[in-house]
Amino acid sequence: MDFNFEPVLESWRFLADGLRITVLLSLSVAACSLIFGTLVALARRYGPKWLRAVLIFYIDSMRAIPVLVVLVWFYFAFPIATGINLPPFLSALVALSLNLTAYVAEIVRAGIESVRPGQVRAGLALGMSMPQIVRKIILPQAFVRMMPALGNVLTLTVKDTAIATVIAVPELMRRADAVAAQTYAPVEVFTTVMFLYFCVIFPITRGVDMVYKRISFLGRS
Amino acid sequence: MNLDWSIIPASAGALAQGALITIALTVLTMAIAVPCGIVVALLRESRFTPVAFLATCFVELFRNLPIILVVYWAFYVMPVVLDLSFSPFVTGLVALCLNNTAYNSETFRSGIRSIRKGQTEAALAMGMSEGEAFRKIVLPQAWRRVLPVLATTWVTLFKDTSLVSVIAVGDLAHTAMQIRSQTFRVIEMLTAMAAIYWLLGYPQAKLADWIHKKFGVTE
Repeated sequence: MDFNFEPVLESWRFLADGLRITVLLSLSVAACSLIFGTLVALARRYGPKWLRAVLIFYIDSMRAIPVLVVLVWFYFAFPIATGINLPPFLSALVALSLNLTAYVAEIVRAGIESVRPGQVRAGLALGMSMPQIVRKIILPQAFVRMMPALGNVLTLTVKDTAIATVIAVPELMRRADAVAAQTYAPVEVFTTVMFLYFCVIFPITRGVDMVYKRISFLGRS
Repeated sequence: MNLDWSIIPASAGALAQGALITIALTVLTMAIAVPCGIVVALLRESRFTPVAFLATCFVELFRNLPIILVVYWAFYVMPVVLDLSFSPFVTGLVALCLNNTAYNSETFRSGIRSIRKGQTEAALAMGMSEGEAFRKIVLPQAWRRVLPVLATTWVTLFKDTSLVSVIAVGDLAHTAMQIRSQTFRVIEMLTAMAAIYWLLGYPQAKLADWIHKKFGVTE
């Protein structure tokens, strides 16, 4: 069997641009889900009771429904239901963030709960307000402890962006599919793309591990 | 906007069949990936370095790839390179198994490592062979510790089976998408699909939580 990597080399710009969109989408989704996930976790912990029930329902639902279903629903059904038409990239951003926010919220909650209640009481005794305690005592410790789990979410984000191919976001997976179909060279194209994805995700996994080993002492109490 | 929900009961049979295929995929994948995961975990701990290295490569490769890419790869590349061609269902099963074996092997490896060395040494001192010590002493203890992680993997796997729909396996997602494009009842069909996944997945997620509470190891 002979391999012919010429189609891959010929369309490398097309694929590289796909990789750029994959990275861009991953970073946007990761940023959005980190911000909203923290807010959801805080609202769940310190918010009013009715809000808590709503958020728990949201988190558990997102844990039960596949990302693909959220993506597809958001891209095909949401515009018809509301009349708001989003381009594929934005639809993917919203749908993936919606899904990953739930995971981040669970991680942040576990992080917050891992800080001993004595620390909150000590903060109160020193005359700090509750928001101050959350900002200055709880979150800094919690974030260090959450690092490995958040690193997992980051790799999960990159992997999930590949699913956005089903709603035609022109990211790496989609472009690979297009090139493979045009050039009849699926073996070479998909193998190259496999290598590219590995090169993106593997350093993240390793990097997070390494950083965590360096700074894990900061989270001790 | 007019909604016509009568499409749901009309296609209930097809949806039920899709759901059955989704469940079958989940159960079969787990049934294959758990024993394979244990074997790969043992290979990684092997004293014979090339074997351990190859097992590590396998695990790291499949842990760091998007499943949808593995599905595409199994569909387009595997038949050419390995000269194997399967039905879409089996192809999807292979892709999910490759991915889950890698995850399970990591789970089992940490579970096996969490059992103190003294236990194996004691078993060897009692005259057991290494295989016996692993089967009778280490594995039963490790099993209980990895159960919560396996429960989480199960829920993730159940959701990931939806990805094989891209290679036209007749699972729930694919069936629903197909009915959608035939009938143009987009909102109804996609909402029904989400609802069915929710109904199936929600109890599983709750069960996984319960297993975590019951069997979780707290430090």
